[in-house]
Amino acid sequence: MHRVGSAGNTAGSTRPRKEKRFTYVLNDADAKKHCAGINCLAYLNGSANSTSDYLFSGSRDGTLKRWELNNGDASFSATFESHVDWVNDAIIVGEKLVSCSSDTTLKVWNCFSDGACTRTLRQHSDYVICLAAAEKNSNIVASGGLGGEVFIWDLDAALAPVAKSADAKEDEVPNGNSGPALTTLCNVNSSSNIASSNGQSHGYSPIAAKGHKDSVYALAMNDTGTLLVSGGTEKVVRVWDPRTGSKKMKLRGHTDNIRTLLLDSTGRYCLSGSSDSMIRLWDLGQQRCVHSYAVHTDSVWALASTPSFGHVYSGGRDQSVYLTDLSTRESVLLCTNEYPILQLSLQDDTIWVATTDSSVYGWPAEGHTPQKVFEKGGSFLAGNLSFSRARASLEGSAPVPVYKEPSLVIPGVPAIIQHEIMNNRRHVLTKDTAGSVKLWEITRGAVIEDFGKVSFEDKKKELFEMVSIPAWFTMDARLGCLSVHLDTPQCFSAEIYAVDLNVSGAQEDLKINLAQETLRGLLVHWSKRKQKSGSHSLSNGDSSSGKDLPSKDSPRSRSEVDDGTENHATHVLPSFEFSTVSPPSIITEGSSGGPWRKRITDLDGTEGDLPWWCVDCVTHNRYPKENTKCGFYLHPAEGSPAPNITQGKLSAPRILRIHKVANYVVEKLVLEKPLDGGSDSTFAMGLSSGQSQLSALDSSSRIGLKAWQKLKPCVEILCNNQVLSPEMSLATVRTYIWKKPEDLILHYRVVQSR
Amino acid sequence: MGAASSRLEKALGEQFPEGERYFGLENFGNTCYCNSVLQALYFCVPFRDQLLEYYASNKSTGDVEENMLTCLADLFSQISNQKKKTGVIAPKRFIQRLKKQNEIFRSYMHQDAHEFLNFLLNELVDILEKEHNAARESLQNLSLQKNSNGPINGLPNGCHKESAATWVHKCFQGILTNETRCLRCETVTDRDETFFDLSLDIEQNSSITSCLKNFSSTETLNAEDKFFCDKCCSLQEAQKRMKIKKPPNILVIHLKRFKYIEQLQRYKKLSYRVVFPLELKLLNTVDNSDLEYSLFAVVVHVGSGPNHGHYISLVKSHNHWLFFDDENVEMTDESMVQAFFGSPQEFSGNTDNGYILFYESLAEKS
Repeated sequence: MHRVGSAGNTAGSTRPRKEKRFTYVLNDADAKKHCAGINCLAYLNGSANSTSDYLFSGSRDGTLKRWELNNGDASFSATFESHVDWVNDAIIVGEKLVSCSSDTTLKVWNCFSDGACTRTLRQHSDYVICLAAAEKNSNIVASGGLGGEVFIWDLDAALAPVAKSADAKEDEVPNGNSGPALTTLCNVNSSSNIASSNGQSHGYSPIAAKGHKDSVYALAMNDTGTLLVSGGTEKVVRVWDPRTGSKKMKLRGHTDNIRTLLLDSTGRYCLSGSSDSMIRLWDLGQQRCVHSYAVHTDSVWALASTPSFGHVYSGGRDQSVYLTDLSTRESVLLCTNEYPILQLSLQDDTIWVATTDSSVYGWPAEGHTPQKVFEKGGSFLAGNLSFSRARASLEGSAPVPVYKEPSLVIPGVPAIIQHEIMNNRRHVLTKDTAGSVKLWEITRGAVIEDFGKVSFEDKKKELFEMVSIPAWFTMDARLGCLSVHLDTPQCFSAEIYAVDLNVSGAQEDLKINLAQETLRGLLVHWSKRKQKSGSHSLSNGDSSSGKDLPSKDSPRSRSEVDDGTENHATHVLPSFEFSTVSPPSIITEGSSGGPWRKRITDLDGTEGDLPWWCVDCVTHNRYPKENTKCGFYLHPAEGSPAPNITQGKLSAPRILRIHKVANYVVEKLVLEKPLDGGSDSTFAMGLSSGQSQLSALDSSSRIGLKAWQKLKPCVEILCNNQVLSPEMSLATVRTYIWKKPEDLILHYRVVQSR
Repeated sequence: MGAASSRLEKALGEQFPEGERYFGLENFGNTCYCNSVLQALYFCVPFRDQLLEYYASNKSTGDVEENMLTCLADLFSQISNQKKKTGVIAPKRFIQRLKKQNEIFRSYMHQDAHEFLNFLLNELVDILEKEHNAARESLQNLSLQKNSNGPINGLPNGCHKESAATWVHKCFQGILTNETRCLRCETVTDRDETFFDLSLDIEQNSSITSCLKNFSSTETLNAEDKFFCDKCCSLQEAQKRMKIKKPPNILVIHLKRFKYIEQLQRYKKLSYRVVFPLELKLLNTVDNSDLEYSLFAVVVHVGSGPNHGHYISLVKSHNHWLFFDDENVEMTDESMVQAFFGSPQEFSGNTDNGYILFYESLAEKS
């Protein structure tokens, strides 16, 4: 592990980039499953609405999913996709689902919707870690996060229609006309008084609970919303009045980060779970800790209590769920999981367990009659001091779990935990939590080979290719799947010959820009719909669609029809065709209001928020021409009788193959023989020092059969005294054979044909 | 000088330790940075013994090329073989060699004693490692010749890399570990690094113990400086701290008294009062065992600025404290050590401050 800056992290990034970054996320083939650890669970009891029960899960993959529970079975029912980083917590407030994320936002959704985000709440300047709601006051939500920021939201006010843009969709994908520019990602401020600096487009500001010295990792609120408790790296439980944001008290006792909190409905008792492996019960009336329970052998990360607050279920880093009787201190190991436990949700007789694994597990819990669990035996008395349990387990007296198998599993897809970009810069090798090693073609977002459970390092070595292509993208796997980041102009630095991608009917020297074709593939749905809506809007004079693009753009794209641009945007080469069954999502920063995320197939052509450089590239075929050339010198090999045919520096595309160089040499040798003395020849090729005819080099094939071809002198090209393979490119030779920063020097010699 | 020496002899009288020599070192123009450190090293008994042993075993092998190590060994043996018990020696060859070896020390400018100590120890280690490797290589060549015809290319390359710890390492080297804990998954990653001395930031009216505590205090990586956790595959908050994994036998503590002041664009000397105890308990170890150390030498910087001034040393030998100031050697009292803690007020006259402290492990002695 090492410290890095914010490179490769779109949402967490705090330094403003010159141009907006364009990211695409390769969702797994199964869109009905999470592909990263589950950070949170929320349960919606359907009986009140006479619908089924629903379980909501929020994942590190950046999405939330809704599961319909029926007769002991869970079926997928919707994906809520809009966050661009880990979903850290989620709660249900009435019929609204509220989620928070490392992308620094809170999002509000309709529980029963098909997954469209109703509103994005921006106030935090760092990761939002936890949420709390008041059971009986469906209006109040508190959010806490890094940098000690805690805000208390009045949802009615926060969601109140805004005069200018009442449309939810517009808020979801902000379109530039809604108030002052937001500075959400500009500077992460460790102090909590950023309430005013982070202007809301509709003028609402939440109450800030100011005074946290350190990051907040846990929150809880009582039923009526009159009491809020917070915990974090400060190691103290702070008690607040959420109505005013004022401090009430501070409770000391834990010796490490507080990761989870519970309040009983009256707000008298508080339970806390900490990285010091202890659970503490606090009497807020007496302002003191009345019990401490040592049941876990490692950090406590999750708590869930029975409705009466008589028993608590706890889970944590030791992968175990314990059930503890708060008054008798009797404790029992309910079950053990294969991964650290991040959150627990108790519903009737099932305890839902969220872990760092992508699956959700339901275990039997006897939530109504927890004493039944104790009757099964194996209970012990919780100690007072931490590590007393750790010692017990070391001595071999580790308790046996009451339940061996979960009653229900909502399976997920293993998360990618390791990735390596291959030298051809199109393939990426990945390893997931299940140990499977796969090879991806990232220009079309598909797995091209699944190697199964093999050594990642060995496979990496095996797949090594001596090829040098510029790094045109960066990537990370923080969402459990691959996120590919494109930044202009460096993303346009990589070219490839069309023939190498088996493009049918392509000329031998036709070069393809990898980023341009990839963008085209990703934005094909957008382009098609935009064209449609564009012609539509032109015909009836409605300028509302595509309003954020300069209006001159539309006519221009039409005027370029004769250049063949029209088909260009919607014509996608097979190597760049992304799946429409499990389409990738794109993430980019809006012109205002921070980043947004959408499936490529959901792009309806009205997204005026795409970075201008992507639009320019896809619709107008314009992109910064990065220097894709490579300068080199070409001299006769030492001792070779071949005459000198060039003087000065030559220049050619970096991807030019050595056999082309050889062809060029042959051509020159044969053509110039009669002229006698290459250097004085009037044949200009290569003599204009530095500025050579790369076009001639590149398309030497255009020169038809000449007399010299019948003579067939065979030419070898060398670099550093090594004969080069004809398939190598200039860039490859430079990287692997030449290995110097200076201009490449190649030598040639004539080989006698056998 | 002669009178001073005899005065020392008189002062010690019958208590003059058997076989011990107390010699002043001549100053060749601002070479006090060197003299003060050499005295401290000379009275670092395990180091001196090893060096003299090296000298003895190397003398027999004939003439070796002169280097820092041979010059230092020469000097130490010269001192220890003096007929007189006290006097003055000119460390001429050593200084010449030093100036030849490193241009920093070539001028007649005032030099930093800590820089010199650091350079010297690293130089000694380099020389010892080279000799060690050369010896092994010749041994291997020998065995190869015996076996003959064997493929020479097949030599494992790795064997050269793991150079055995030299006796300099055994004296001074400790291991620090840099622990980083991701606050999300709470995975701890550690990275080890070796050290010959600990350079401590100092505060006004503090102690070595509190400076050591600050040295190991937890730093949180957060906000724009988050930690990339390999387990979380993302940037997360983390806590980082330094701990001593393997305490050295001889603990050398360097107090950072020369601080660069941005506004002044130059270094400034901090004369802060930093109490250093005669017996030090080292608490910030990985296994939380407290180790006890005893102070045996202090290199003192005299003067108000970093570019001028003087170095002297206080040394404990056979339970007596001695005061070395270039040529002069005097008896002194243990309580004198307190005089070099520093001054509690910024602009007081006391500019004689302990700069490098030498502690030896008590565990090692017993």
